[in-house]
Amino acid sequence: MRRYNIFYFIGQAFTNLWRNGLMTFVSIAVLMSLLVVIGGFSLMVVNIDINLKKFGEMNEIVVFVDREASEEKIEEIGNTIKALDNIEKDSSGNVTGVTRISKSEGLRQLKQENPGVYDDITDENNPLPDKFVITYEETAKVPELDYQLRQIEGIIKVNNRLDLATGIENLKNGIMLIFVWFLIILFVVSLFIIVNTIKLSVFARKDEISIMRYVGATRSFISLPFIFEGIIIGVISSVIAYFIEWFLYAYVERMVVSDYLQMIDVLTFDDVSKYVLFGFLAIGILTGVVGSSISLGKYSNK
Amino acid sequence: MIDFKNVKKAYPNGTMALKGIDLHVDDGEFVFICGHSGAGKSTIIKLLLREERISSGELIVDDYDLSKLSNYRVPQYRRKLGVVFQDFRLFPKKTVYENVAFAMEVIGTPRRDINKRVPSILRTVNLAGKENSLPNEISGGEQQRVALARALANNPSIIIADEPTGNIDPKMSLEIMQLLLKINKLGKTVLVVTHEKGLVDYYQQRVVSLQNGRIVDDKVGGMYNEKV
Ligand SMILES: Nc1ncnc2c1ncn2[C@@H]1O[C@H](COP(=O)(O)OP(=O)(O)O)[C@@H](O)[C@H]1O
Ligand SMILES: [Mg+2]
Repeated sequence: MRRYNIFYFIGQAFTNLWRNGLMTFVSIAVLMSLLVVIGGFSLMVVNIDINLKKFGEMNEIVVFVDREASEEKIEEIGNTIKALDNIEKDSSGNVTGVTRISKSEGLRQLKQENPGVYDDITDENNPLPDKFVITYEETAKVPELDYQLRQIEGIIKVNNRLDLATGIENLKNGIMLIFVWFLIILFVVSLFIIVNTIKLSVFARKDEISIMRYVGATRSFISLPFIFEGIIIGVISSVIAYFIEWFLYAYVERMVVSDYLQMIDVLTFDDVSKYVLFGFLAIGILTGVVGSSISLGKYSNK
Repeated sequence: MIDFKNVKKAYPNGTMALKGIDLHVDDGEFVFICGHSGAGKSTIIKLLLREERISSGELIVDDYDLSKLSNYRVPQYRRKLGVVFQDFRLFPKKTVYENVAFAMEVIGTPRRDINKRVPSILRTVNLAGKENSLPNEISGGEQQRVALARALANNPSIIIADEPTGNIDPKMSLEIMQLLLKINKLGKTVLVVTHEKGLVDYYQQRVVSLQNGRIVDDKVGGMYNEKV
């Protein structure tokens, strides 16, 4: 093969696409939907993972002490906790992972975080219990630690963020399972439609193809316009899908951020836009090329 | 050089189209292949074009052994051949010039070589002046000459014509035959499938008669075999 002009193939490809207008449109619409769904799903998983990681990194358990407990009792509870395994220590072995937050300290923090809301609550009518914030060393041993903490007399509640993380993780896996099936179906449908669109082009050009064969055109020369056709469908779909994803993501981002302020971290679209665009192009072009190769199949052989 | 040695061809549906063909054609020969419909004439051509593979025997064209030729090498091989069909098979939306140039484009011939060669081929087939006509603006005989020009475009050593005059009137047929002979005089091997008795008898060339998948007659300066 030598000296072929790439614009020849691209020109032929556009002619084909134009001639099969409706099928081209359907192919692009379906592939685009597939990409938007893949993108939305991946972005959701990435964001969930970031938040799971954040929970995981906190390495914190908060325990609340009975409101009736005396000062000595509270100190005794503190010492019992410090004696447990899996509590953060410094290099010389001193326990650093247990911090007591008294009920007045707790109230102060609460007032600071929500200015104006708790103004009528004072130390006299403070309903908060004392609490300990515990930093542990090994996530794997958290269930054990959790159990031990619950055994200590005077502790009324153990807030283990890992429970929440596990809950989210399970939810994520559940969603993933559903989506993977959904994606497989969408992928097969897109491929089927692209294959048929390009088959139409091949069919419309079968006389031309047969003449090309008789005069000795190579297989790649005959196939390239159709491969480009697949690539063009892929590129157009990816670019449209990118803008739709952008719009949808910005919308969801605003919703989540305003509703769960400070609780959930959400990546901005800027953080991920590169990956979304290149991911879309890669999947889009791959689907297009696989589709055209399938449609050419026997045609380019003889 | 074309060499069929005991070539048999069975189609996938079981039809035995060729039942043992032995045929040798030297470089520069002119050969008519005659026979009734269904005798196997087009099958011989499809084997030569490597559109179909032989079922058994041996088929050699110059230095290509067609029973061993890989798909990958087929395009290269086909550039040795120029082919013309009964139904012309021109592109209706391309001009005469573009139809001929197309054959050169698809094998990657540089533009300036195409621009040099196409006019000269069109002169060879007496179509100078018709460059910009579309196929539906010229006669059947002229369309077949465009097809012939296209077959010649890549300078093949063998020209194969399957019933080239089947769709055109007798006066024009004569002109096509004249051209095929002229091309033969230029040094190309020419195979012409036909069942036009008048033409075959008139030209007194080698005539190979086919019947029911077998060669029943092969005479130089022969006549159309009435029994076949
Ligand atoms: N693709 C095919 N599949 C099955 N049978 C075929 C095919 N092409 C031709 N034949 C059969 O092979 C025999 C020879 O056909 P063909 O070579 O076309 O004859 P001709 O060109 O002499 O009329 C006929 O019986 C025909 O029906
Ligand atoms: Mg025939």
